[in-house]
Amino acid sequence: MSSKPAIRLTLVDLAVLLAAAAGVVLFFVRMTQVLEYQWEWQAIPGYFMFRDPETGRFSANMLLKGFGVTLKLSIWSMVLGFILGTFSGIMGAKGGFFGRMVSRFYVETIRNIPSLVLVILFYYFVSSQFLDALGLDQWVRRLPDPAARGVSFFLAGAGQINAFVSAACALAIYEGAYISEIVRGGINGVSKGQWEAAWSMGLSQAQTFRLVVLPQAFRRTAFPLAGQFISTIKDSAIVSVISVQELTFQGLELMAATFLTFEIWITITLLYFLLTFSLSRTISFFEKRLAIRQ
Amino acid sequence: MKKLFITCIMGLTLLVPFFSPVSAGELGNQLAKESVVEKIQRDKVIRVGMSTFVPWAMKDKHGKLVGFEIDVARQLAKDMGVEVEFVPTAWSGIIPALMTGKFDVIIGGMGITPERNLKVNFTMPYDYSGMSMVAHRKKAEGFSTLDDFNNKDVNIAVRMGTTAEQAARKFFPHANLRLFENESQALQELNLGRVHAVVSSAPMPVFHALKYPDKLFVPLKENFTKEPIGFAIRKGDPDALNYFNNWIVNMHASGFLKEKKAYWFESTEWEDLVK
Repeated sequence: MSSKPAIRLTLVDLAVLLAAAAGVVLFFVRMTQVLEYQWEWQAIPGYFMFRDPETGRFSANMLLKGFGVTLKLSIWSMVLGFILGTFSGIMGAKGGFFGRMVSRFYVETIRNIPSLVLVILFYYFVSSQFLDALGLDQWVRRLPDPAARGVSFFLAGAGQINAFVSAACALAIYEGAYISEIVRGGINGVSKGQWEAAWSMGLSQAQTFRLVVLPQAFRRTAFPLAGQFISTIKDSAIVSVISVQELTFQGLELMAATFLTFEIWITITLLYFLLTFSLSRTISFFEKRLAIRQ
Repeated sequence: MKKLFITCIMGLTLLVPFFSPVSAGELGNQLAKESVVEKIQRDKVIRVGMSTFVPWAMKDKHGKLVGFEIDVARQLAKDMGVEVEFVPTAWSGIIPALMTGKFDVIIGGMGITPERNLKVNFTMPYDYSGMSMVAHRKKAEGFSTLDDFNNKDVNIAVRMGTTAEQAARKFFPHANLRLFENESQALQELNLGRVHAVVSSAPMPVFHALKYPDKLFVPLKENFTKEPIGFAIRKGDPDALNYFNNWIVNMHASGFLKEKKAYWFESTEWEDLVK
C-alpha cells in the first residue's frame, strides 16, 4: 500500500484561503449593510418542492422542474449532436472532396456564429416553417393519456413541445460542430500504420475503418465527448431566450415575480455547478482508472 | 369595329367571376375556416402568450400562474368551452412569437400603440393602464415633477420593448435610459442606487416603494400617461377580432373586468399567494 503524501498547509495556501473567505464575507456584508439588501433565503426551499395543502403530497416546484428540463434538454441535444457530429466528423476525416467540403462548411459556419443567434434564428425561422407545419403539438394533444404522459416526461408537454424540440435541435447543431472536430481528430489520430497493417491482413477499406480505426478513435474521443456534454449543460441556459422552461428561464420568471434576485441567482449558480462539477469529477475518475489499465 | 371590341371586353368582364380562382363568397368561407377562433374550437385549447408582469401575470408559491391577465384568459377559455394553455414568453420577442404562430393571442397587458398596431391587430381595450414611477430617496432627493428627471445627469431604468420605454423616451428625452430584459433587473438597479428611477406600468412602482420605504419613494402622485390595453392577434382574422371584441364588451357589461381589476390593482390581498 502506498501512502498518500501528507497534506501540508504552506503560508501561501493559508493566505489564499483567508483571501477567499474574506471575499465571501465582504460580499454579504456589502449586500446587507451598504446596499441594504433584505435576504429572504427561507422562501427558496419552497421553490424546489412544496406540500400540496389539498392532497398532502409533495410536488416539484419551478426550480426543480427547470432543473429537470435542463437535464432532458442537455441529454437530447447531446444524443442528436453526437449523431450529427459523428457523421460530419467521419465525412471530414475520410470523406471525398465533396464530403470534406460539406463537413468543413458546417463546422466553420456554426463555430463562427454565437450560439444565441443560432437558437433565435432556428426558433423563429426554421422551426416556424417546419416544426409548426408538422403539427407536433396537435399530435401530442390527441394522444391517449399514458402516451401523452410519456411524451411529456421524455420531451415536453403539448404547450412546450415545439419550443423544446426547436431548442434541442438548435443546441444539437451547435454542439454537433464541436463533436465533429473531436471525432475527426480522433480518426486522424489513429496512426497510418494501423491502416496498413489491417490492409496487409486482407481487410477491405470499409472493414478496416469499422473494425480497426473506429474503436480506437472512440476510445480517444470518449473523454473529450464527456467534456462536451458538460459544455452542453452550460450552453443550454441560452435557450431561455426562446422561453423553454429550463432552469435559467424558471429562475428569471421567479425573480420577476418575487424580486428575490440574488437569492435565486445564487441558487441557480449552485445548481449548475453541482451538476457539472459532479459530472466532471465522475469523468476524471474513470479517466484515471482507464489510464492505469491501458 | 370599336363597338364590337368594347362589347367583347364587357362580355369577358362579366365572365370573370366564374373563372377567377377565389370569388368573394369563397374568400369569406376560407377566412372563416382559417380563423384562429375555428382553430381554438378544433384543438379544444387556446394558447395564450404572456410574460411576467406583477400583478398582471406571475407565478405563485406553487408555480401556478396567477394575476389579472391570467383571470381574464381563464374566463375567456371557459366561455369558449376550451382549455387554456399559457406560453410564458420573453417580452422583447412576444410579437414575433405571435406572428410566427407560437400561440393564438397575446393577453399580457399589452398597450395598444400605433407602432405595434402596424404588426398585429388589437381588440378594443379591456383595461386602461398608466405609467408610474418609483425613485431612489438619496439619488433623486427633492425630485417631484417630470422635468426634474429630464436631465442629462439622470439615469432611468425601464424594461426593454415596453410602453414604459416609449414613455420614458418621450417624457425624459435628455435622461439616460438603461434597458433591461426584466422588471426585476430594473428594480434591482434602482435598489442598488445605480439609477435615479424606474418607470413602469401602475401599480407596480407604488407597491415596490411600499416594500422599501426607507430607500424608495414615489415622486409623482398621479400616473403620467393613460394607455389602452388590448388582446393582440395576428392580422387578417376578422372573425377572431369580432369574437374577442364582443367578449370584452360583455365582460365590461357584467362587471367582471372591474371586479378583477379591483382585486389585483387596488388591493394587496394577493401578495400572500406569491411569497
